[in-house]
Amino acid sequence: MSDALAAVEHAAPSQTAASRVGGRILRSPLLLVGLVGTTLIVAAAIFAPLLAPADPTAQDLANILAPPVWAGGTVDNVLGTDVLGRDVASRLLYGARNSLFVAFSAMLLGSSLGLITGLLAGFFGGRVDSILMRLGDVQLAFPFILLAIAILGVVASRPAWLLIAVLGIPGWIVYARVVRSRVLAEKEKDYVAAATALGAGPWRRLFRYVFPSVWQVVPVIALLDVGFLIIMESTLSFLGLGLAPPAATWGGILADGRRNMVVSQWLPILPGLAILVTVLSINLVGDGLAAVFDSRNVGGGFRRLRPKAPAAPSSEPGAGSLLAVRDLRVEFPTSGGRVKAVRGIDFELAPGETLGVVGESGSGKSVTAAAVIQLLEPPGRITEGAVFYDGEDLARTSDRRMASLRGQEIAMIFQNPAVSLNPVLTIGFQLREAIRHVTKASRRTARDTAREVLMAVGIEDPDRISRQYPFQLSGGMNQRVMIAMVLAARPRLLLADEPTTALDTTTQAQILDRLVKLTEAENISLVLITHDIALVSEYADRMLVLYAGEVCEYGPVREIISRPRHPYTRALLESVPRVEDPADRLQVIAGDLPDPSEDRVGCPFADRCPLVMEVCREAAPPRYKVGPVHTAACYLWAPERAEAVAT
Amino acid sequence: MRGRVLLIRLGQMVLVVLAVVTIAFLVLRFATGDPARLVNPPGTPEDIIAQTRERIGTDKPVFVQYGEYLYNAVQGDLGTSFRGAQPVASAVLTALPNTLALAGITIVASAGLAIVLGAVAAWRPGSIFDRAVLVWVALAQATPAFWLAVLLVLVFALNLRWFPAIDMNGWRSFVLPVTTLVVTLSPVLIRTARQSFIETLREDYIKAARARGLPSWRVFAVHGVKAASLPLVTLIGLQLGFLLAGAVVVEVIFNWPGIGKLILDSLASRDFPMIQGGILVAAVVFVVLNFVVDMLYAVLDPRVGAARA
Repeated sequence: MSDALAAVEHAAPSQTAASRVGGRILRSPLLLVGLVGTTLIVAAAIFAPLLAPADPTAQDLANILAPPVWAGGTVDNVLGTDVLGRDVASRLLYGARNSLFVAFSAMLLGSSLGLITGLLAGFFGGRVDSILMRLGDVQLAFPFILLAIAILGVVASRPAWLLIAVLGIPGWIVYARVVRSRVLAEKEKDYVAAATALGAGPWRRLFRYVFPSVWQVVPVIALLDVGFLIIMESTLSFLGLGLAPPAATWGGILADGRRNMVVSQWLPILPGLAILVTVLSINLVGDGLAAVFDSRNVGGGFRRLRPKAPAAPSSEPGAGSLLAVRDLRVEFPTSGGRVKAVRGIDFELAPGETLGVVGESGSGKSVTAAAVIQLLEPPGRITEGAVFYDGEDLARTSDRRMASLRGQEIAMIFQNPAVSLNPVLTIGFQLREAIRHVTKASRRTARDTAREVLMAVGIEDPDRISRQYPFQLSGGMNQRVMIAMVLAARPRLLLADEPTTALDTTTQAQILDRLVKLTEAENISLVLITHDIALVSEYADRMLVLYAGEVCEYGPVREIISRPRHPYTRALLESVPRVEDPADRLQVIAGDLPDPSEDRVGCPFADRCPLVMEVCREAAPPRYKVGPVHTAACYLWAPERAEAVAT
Repeated sequence: MRGRVLLIRLGQMVLVVLAVVTIAFLVLRFATGDPARLVNPPGTPEDIIAQTRERIGTDKPVFVQYGEYLYNAVQGDLGTSFRGAQPVASAVLTALPNTLALAGITIVASAGLAIVLGAVAAWRPGSIFDRAVLVWVALAQATPAFWLAVLLVLVFALNLRWFPAIDMNGWRSFVLPVTTLVVTLSPVLIRTARQSFIETLREDYIKAARARGLPSWRVFAVHGVKAASLPLVTLIGLQLGFLLAGAVVVEVIFNWPGIGKLILDSLASRDFPMIQGGILVAAVVFVVLNFVVDMLYAVLDPRVGAARA
C-alpha cells in the first residue's frame, strides 16, 4: 500500500525538470540582471544598520540640503543631506529596509490568504467555491484604495501592521484565482485519481498531491506583487499616510524632496531612482521566472518564413498537373528541439481531380495543407522541397503574389467551422468582405452575390442568416457558409482540411455531397484531408496515405482500396466499421506515433507493424513502384521480395 | 431575462456603494477621537465643544447619525463642511468633473496606446520592436507615479517652462498630469494587448481570413483588433482602482481641484462630512465605470450580449 502510494508520488511532476530550468535561468541575461539587482537590494535592506554611514534620524541643522558628492558635496554625506540635515544615503538604506519589510509582509499576508482560499475553492468546489469566488468578484468591484486612504488618514497612529493589513489583504484574490484554476486542472490528473483509488482521503490528496504541484505558481505572482506593493507603500508614504515619521521611507524622502526641489534637485530624484531600480529588478526576476516555467515557444505573428535553400534542380513542376508537391519538408523549431512535421512528401493533382490525404492526427496532413497555401505558423517553415502551383513554386514566391493567389485561385476550408469564422463579426459582413475582395464588386453587388451563393449552398433565408453571428448557427450551417465563400470565389484549387469532422453524420454526408458537386461543376481541384479512409474511398480519385510525416502509399483510390500494399493502409482499411459485421468494429492499431522531433532510422511504422522485418529498422524503405502511378514505401514490395509476396 | 440581470447588477452596485459608505462612516466615527474636539484647537472650553457637538450633530447616538446621513444622502444632501458652511454636495460636484476629465482622457489614451503598441509588438513577436515595447513596459511598470510627476514638473515646468506646474487652466495644464497617469496605467494594458494579439493571430478564423486572400492589414485591423481588445476592456475595469490611486497622487502634486485632492485636504483638516462625501462620490463613479466597462464588453462581444439578452 505505502509502496503503491510512493510510486504514485513519483508520477507527480517533480525535480525531473529542475536541471533544465536551471539551464534556462543561466541563459536569460535579463533574469540574471534582475537576480543580481534584487539580491543586492535585499542585502542592503537587511544590513542597513551596518552599511549606513550615519544615524538616519540624526539631525544637523548646520548642514541642511547639502548636495551629493558629484554636485559639489562632501564625502561625509555622499548623497547629500535633507532639510533637517539628515544623511540622505543612510535614510535611503533604511528606506529600503522599511519599504521591503512592509511590501514583503503584505505580500505574505495576501498570498497566504489567497493560497488557502484558492486551494479550498478549487479542491472542494461546489458551494465553498462559489461563495469564495463571488466574494472575489465583489472585492474586484470595490474601491479599496479609497478606504485605505481614509483609514490611514484618520487613525491616530499608524503602526506597521495596519499598513501591512491595508496593503496586503486586497491582494488575496489574484493568488486565489490562479491557484484555484491550477488545482482544478491538477486534481483531474491521473496520479491524483490513482491516489484516490488507493484510498487517500481528501486532505491527504490536497496536501500530499495537489499542493506540491500547485504552489509553484505562487512565487512568480508573489514577486510581481512585491514590486507593486513597494510602489503602493511609497505612494502612501508620499501622501504622508505611510509609516509615521521619523521612520525613513522612500516616499517620505521624495515628499520632502519635492518641497525643496527648487533648491536641491537631487533630493526628489534619488529615492525615485531607488524605487525604480528595486521594482525593475524584482519584476525582471518575476517575468524571467514566468518565461522559464512557461516554455511555450515564442512564435505567431504574420511572418511567412521562406525556405533558405533554392529548390532542388531535379524537382520539376509536373506537366499537366495543377499542383505538384516535391520532397516537401516542414519543421517547427521549439525549445525541446526541431519538430519535423513533414519529412519529404510528394504528390500531384490534375485540374478537376480530387486527392484524398489520409492519416491519423500527427501524420502531417494539416501541416501539408498549411504549407501549400503558405500559412504555416511561424517559426514553422518549409525547409526543403517545392510546392508547384501551375508551374510556379509557391514556397519561394513573394508575399504579394501569394496574397493575390489566396482566395482568388487557392481556397481553404478548415476543420471546425465554428472557429474559422470570426466570432465577433456577422456572417453577412464576412461573406460580403470575402466577395468584395475577390470580385472587387460594389457593396450592392456583393450583397446580391452573397444572397445567391447562400441560396446555392441550401440556405433558404439568406437575409436572416447574414445578420447572425457564427455562434448562433449550427456547425453544418457555418460550414455551408464557408462553402458559399468558396463558391463565390471560384478558385482553381480547394484545400479542405477535415471539412466535416466536427459535424454529425447526416450533416457530414450533405456537406460533402455539396462540396464535391461544387468542385465537379466548377472543375475545381480538391485536396480532401481526413482521418476517415472511407470518405476518401467514396469521393477521391487519388489517395495519399501519410504516417508520421512520411508517405506510406500513393496511388489511384480504386487500386489502393481493392489491394492495399502498405501494412498501415491495410490497418486503416480494417479499422473502418463494417455495416455487415458490427461486432468486428475498429481494429485499433496498437502503439504510438514516433517522436516527431527525433531523427529516424528505418521505417516510421516499424514499431507498430505486424509484418515488421529486420531490414525495416535498419534503413528507411524507398517508395517501390507497384503500379503505373502507384507507390508503396515498404520492403514487402522490394523487387527481390515482391514475387514471393505476390504468390 | 435581460431586465432581471440588469436589476441584479444594479442591486450589486448599490450594495458596494453602501458598504463603502458604511465602512468609511464607522472608521471615521470610531478610529478617531471626538470630531468636535478635533475641529477645535486644544484647550477649548468644554461648553464650546458641546456647542460644536450639537452644531455638527455628533451629540446623537451613532446609529441615528448613520441613519440620518443615509436618509439625507439619498435626497442629495451630503451635509455641511465642518469648516465654514459650504454644502458638501456642491463642493463634491464641483470637483467631480475635473477628476472625470483626467481619468477619461487617461483611459482613452492608454487604451489607444496599448492597442497600437500591442499590435506593433505582436505583428512580429521577438522582433526589435517587440523587444523595445517590452523594455518600455518593464521600465514604466517600475516607475512610481508621484516620482514621474515630480520629474515632469522639474523638467517641463520648472526648467523648460513648456507646461504649467500646477492648477487646472487650459489644455496645457492637462499634459503633465495625463502623461503621468498614462505612463502608470498603460504598461499592464500594453502587456495584455500584446499577449491578446499574439493569441488572436493564432486563431483559426484569422488563418481562414488570410486564406481568403484578405490583405494582412485588413485581417489585422478588421478581424484581429476587435477580438483582441476584449481582454483589454475587462482589464481596464480591473485597473480602475489603481487609476483612482494614481489620480489622488497626481491631483495632489499638480494641485488639481478634483475629488482626490478634496479627500486628502479634508483628511488633513479632519473635515469628516467632506471626506465622507468625497468617498461616496468616488465609490459611485468607480462602480458606474465598472458597469460601463461590462456593458461595453457585451456590445463588443456578441456572444456575451446574446447570453445576457
